[in-house]
Amino acid sequence: MVSDRTWRNLTVELKRSHLAKLGVVLILFILLAATFAPLLAPHDPKQTNPGEANLPPLGFSETRTESTTVMEDGEITIVEEQVQVNAQMEHPLGTDHVGRDVLSRALFGARTSLIVGIGGTALAAMFGVIVGLVSGFYGGRIDDGLMRIADIMLAFPSLVLAIALTGLWGQQSESIPDPFHELGLAPDMPAEIVIPSTIIAVVALVNWVWFARVARGEALSVRNEEYVKAARSVGASDLEILWRHVLPNSLTPILVLGTIQVAAIILLESSLSFLGFSGANLSWGLDIAQGRDYLSSSWWIATVPGAAIVIAVVGINLVGDWLRDALDPGIDQGEGGV
Amino acid sequence: MSLGRFLVRRTLQGLLVVWGVITVVFVLRFLSPGDPVTFVAPLDASPELRQRIAADLGLNKPMHVQYADYLAGLLQGDMGYSYQRGLPANDIVLSRVPATVELAVASSIVAIVLSIPLGVVAATRRHSPADYGATLFSLVGISTPNFWLGIMLVLFLSVQLDLFPTSQRPVGFLEAWTHLIRFKLAGPSLSVPLDAGAFADDMGTWLWHITLPAVTLGTYFTALITRLTRSGMLDELGKEYVTAARAKGLPETLVRYRHALRNTLIPILTVLGLQLGTLIGGAVITEAVFAWPGLGSLLIDAINSRDWPIIQAALIVIGVSFVVINVAVDVVYGYLNPQVGYE
Repeated sequence: MVSDRTWRNLTVELKRSHLAKLGVVLILFILLAATFAPLLAPHDPKQTNPGEANLPPLGFSETRTESTTVMEDGEITIVEEQVQVNAQMEHPLGTDHVGRDVLSRALFGARTSLIVGIGGTALAAMFGVIVGLVSGFYGGRIDDGLMRIADIMLAFPSLVLAIALTGLWGQQSESIPDPFHELGLAPDMPAEIVIPSTIIAVVALVNWVWFARVARGEALSVRNEEYVKAARSVGASDLEILWRHVLPNSLTPILVLGTIQVAAIILLESSLSFLGFSGANLSWGLDIAQGRDYLSSSWWIATVPGAAIVIAVVGINLVGDWLRDALDPGIDQGEGGV
Repeated sequence: MSLGRFLVRRTLQGLLVVWGVITVVFVLRFLSPGDPVTFVAPLDASPELRQRIAADLGLNKPMHVQYADYLAGLLQGDMGYSYQRGLPANDIVLSRVPATVELAVASSIVAIVLSIPLGVVAATRRHSPADYGATLFSLVGISTPNFWLGIMLVLFLSVQLDLFPTSQRPVGFLEAWTHLIRFKLAGPSLSVPLDAGAFADDMGTWLWHITLPAVTLGTYFTALITRLTRSGMLDELGKEYVTAARAKGLPETLVRYRHALRNTLIPILTVLGLQLGTLIGGAVITEAVFAWPGLGSLLIDAINSRDWPIIQAALIVIGVSFVVINVAVDVVYGYLNPQVGYE
């Protein structure tokens, strides 16, 4: 499927570009965090512990003024006292307002982001590529009709559409058992992985058009190539030609677009869960929304998950740049963003 | 094709798309779970009261009749009444437009003013600290979710340093101008005497409040355009016409700005056209972060309370303005790039 020359281009570019290396490292880091979250996390990410709420991260121990209201003989007095709050080794990145471990939540949040990012992209690519190939290969009325629909899709800001759809359609999710828990390797961790199915469907619905455009362009350009005519003359069916000749030739730009889309969809997912339109209960965007109410006292609650998003998206964008520079698929910068 | 024919054709296409948007927005209500009456009626409403409410709102008619009523209303500029507040959806939505336009324009200005010089410097001084700085900034800028950036700006500049307000928009841009110029539109203020001091105060307040939202929304575009300007300039500066221009003794500034930068702007405009949706979507999120009273925060509130007339009106206004802006971008594009022209 991947030719020797493609491999050579990829490795040459990887050796040349430090940013590409950084991207690969960051992606591996996030992938490992997401996959092994139950083994890496120090605590159950959903375990609340009011006694240990708002603990600062290591290195940020602080003195806090805590006011308590005391009611005595019908009189209310507010007592203010200085309390020293020490960071704890057990919670290296601190705890949130109900005492959940911030690091553990960030690790598990990576799962949601990657599930939506990769799942949503795969779904959008499948649908978009089929529409695009059919449209470009057959041309004519089919092409006109399908591209009109694509135009209407592009004529509406996809983020606004995604907000409206997830806000209105509710936030269903499916759960699958967590393999680490099943195997008894992480008995204290959540038993299930939540897959926010509505969000995956919605992000695919608002993003398939980019894949359709690229696939259509590729199909148009190879439709009249000699080898396609040759295949037809020996009696290959349309489906065979599309599958064996047109699709393989379109893979490079689709792969590059797919990479950019994973980053765009991770950002989209975080925005949707920030607005409270998420089916997942462990999500970076959701944690940022909750931490926002505690900015003046506990800045880390909103800061850590946001930094995690930036790390993941920078990594994916760098790998996207690497693939684009190495494979030169003819996709413009900025195309395929959400 | 002449500009006139181009405009007519694009307008017709645009109208078709607008009709598509209106229809999709209408159908959305029927595709969404939950009976609108539930959100309007009191919790203990009797079935009779529910039926009366449904009849009042016209929700008991068949779908195609509702669609016809809806289209007829739209043609007369009537988008129904808000379920929540009982006021015309029209008035509510239009009153929110200025705040969103202010935010979009302010962030575009931030983006253009910062990004193009940054990109040019990065391209003309390759491998300098400025180049690495611009590259790093643009990489992180396109990878940062804007709502988080907004929250971090609030954390550092509002909560910690107390330099900017955390949210709200106490005065609008046009309201500030009513102290200086008499608008027909502004009605009541006609009796208020002109007052330069009050104008300066209001403008200051407005600027002070819009700074963080504008930077929040503008950062992604600053980063994107910096990146595009840098790579575009590098491409152009390597071309033969630039060598020729330099060889005939043209000053370097002229070579860079009159020739290379101008040719770089065309692909940038293409990408910006494609990314306009991101600007509008980003505005929705930014408004939610800063309690900025624009269309976006209105839409989110309306979605949460299932205020359908408002949801539909807001989506239609967003969709229609998007179509209009896209046509405008095409016109500018044809002007800047005569080779493409008005096709």
